[in-house]
Amino acid sequence: MSWKQTKSAPFFVGYLNKVPKPLVAFLGVFSLCFVAGLGLAAFALSSTQNDPGNGAFQWGNRFEQTGLLELRPYPVFRIPANGDAPARTYMLAGQGKRGVFEQTEANRETPVTLRGVPVNRGDLTMIQVGQVEPATGDPSGFTPSEPVSLGRWKLTGEICDGKCYAGAMRPGRGLAHKACADLCLTGGIPPVFVSSGPVEGRTFFLMAGKDGQLLGEAIDPLLALYIEVEGEVEKLDDLMVFKADLLTARVLK
Amino acid sequence: MSVQYTPVIWNRNKMVYDAILLIAVALYLYIFIRVGPFYEDVTRPIDGAILRMRAFGSCAFLMLTVILCIGPLARLDRRFLPLLYNRRHFGVMTAGIAAVHANYVLGWYFNFSPTDSYVALLSSNTSYGQVLGFPFEAFGIAALLILFVLAATSHDFWLSFLGAPIWKALHMFIYAAYAFVVLHVALGALQGPSDPIFTSMVAASVVLVSGLHFASGRLEANREKGHATAKASLEEAGWVVAGEVDEIDDNCAKVVTLSEEERVAIFRYDGKLSAVTNVCAHQNGPLGEGKVLWGCITCPWHGYQYNLADGRAPAPFTEKIATYKLKLVGSTVLLDPNALPPGTYVEPVVIGGAS
Repeated sequence: MSWKQTKSAPFFVGYLNKVPKPLVAFLGVFSLCFVAGLGLAAFALSSTQNDPGNGAFQWGNRFEQTGLLELRPYPVFRIPANGDAPARTYMLAGQGKRGVFEQTEANRETPVTLRGVPVNRGDLTMIQVGQVEPATGDPSGFTPSEPVSLGRWKLTGEICDGKCYAGAMRPGRGLAHKACADLCLTGGIPPVFVSSGPVEGRTFFLMAGKDGQLLGEAIDPLLALYIEVEGEVEKLDDLMVFKADLLTARVLK
Repeated sequence: MSVQYTPVIWNRNKMVYDAILLIAVALYLYIFIRVGPFYEDVTRPIDGAILRMRAFGSCAFLMLTVILCIGPLARLDRRFLPLLYNRRHFGVMTAGIAAVHANYVLGWYFNFSPTDSYVALLSSNTSYGQVLGFPFEAFGIAALLILFVLAATSHDFWLSFLGAPIWKALHMFIYAAYAFVVLHVALGALQGPSDPIFTSMVAASVVLVSGLHFASGRLEANREKGHATAKASLEEAGWVVAGEVDEIDDNCAKVVTLSEEERVAIFRYDGKLSAVTNVCAHQNGPLGEGKVLWGCITCPWHGYQYNLADGRAPAPFTEKIATYKLKLVGSTVLLDPNALPPGTYVEPVVIGGAS
């Protein structure tokens, strides 16, 4: 059963430049297979990557609107209806993985003009805030509407950070992105629940605690996983808010 | 072999080896980053940084797979031995590719934040108590650290400084690195949306690495069974029957197993026989699978050489290996199983001469 060296077997010594002929042919074929195999593997892996969707920064469509900043409980920007255009509520994020709590706190209940860049995926829009200035016109008389409750729901889906998922990163969800999402939420980016089923045709929800409070570290173990969770859904103009009762949360996979 | 330490002692074979490796890696990265995306069915392109981190990460994983296959392949088929010769360059390159992957991860997922990216890497996901959502980055960090240590100590200086047994034990951590990489991938990338090709590739890698090691392990076990007669057949007190002289080809050796840890290579050359340990002083290569070139035992792994009669590397080299006494009764070779101190001269047994 044992292998033994024989006089006729080719013997390779690395520092001798001459390689035995039978080995040259064998190694040549192996090298070709190795190079071609890696090339094929690269093509197979690269060309079959999953679609990250259409989320992206809208650099060519800068945002500039006048309205009110609110904390619900994450920073949002409320703008009044204008002609046929209904009132809208936008989620807000700062530059990079930063929120805009300080700017919102400092300018609450004062009409402001907000400039920024929208990050958009379908009907999910997050504004990356660039500049907030006191409004120059006379926007008095704008009283944002109160949220409308749509009742208690049990939703399945994933908790993401609203900015990456909206398109700041492609892909911006899933377990490979979990640590990044964690970092974003710690930095103050609003969490978003991406539901597998719609509520009134919408599948993206700004998240809040069950009593409308900020979500703390309790969402960390649930982040980026496929979960089921109950809570109250509210509508704030066009923005859906999911006040999740995390005690009911269950990891599905 | 060298008596002084230089970063790399280049020769034609090493250059060809590295050139093929570089071509393969460059082709992989080029196709992954530049060609593959044209054929993707995506609404908008994947972020460049994510594409590159995937390209470098998967490349490092496949390179590590091939590295781990070289050892058992060379045991199963000696034609693969040349791949072993310059494997350390393969390993260093793999560590480099893995480092680029890590750099993209740090510069993308852990950047753009008020938190330092290294602090963020270690502190953002701390769900160590759960399988799904486990901070798989930790496995990647562990694997990368091992690859760095192995790359940094791959030079012969460290082999000489640490000694072959410690160096070899240290470099066995490559298996731990592979296990960490598999866990890193299994709990990270494979938990994303279904990707049958990458999943199959990872599964094939694990099956290939385990299967080849199992097959070469069986081969070694069978070899020991084949040699068991040497242990059991004491013909004369203190001597072991090593076999018939005709079993050994000229300038080749027969390997005799004395115990699990001890094998002896008996070389036949110029009408004489000499016995030395089967373990090369360089990297524990199997000397008995080498040949006699220019009157010296030549290791099949890296070509280290030893004099047949005293187990000393020819001057100016200083390596020494253990020698053994032999005697010939008729055509039967008898071996004294007590190893002599490395470098001890033993008069070669003349075939056909007086025993």
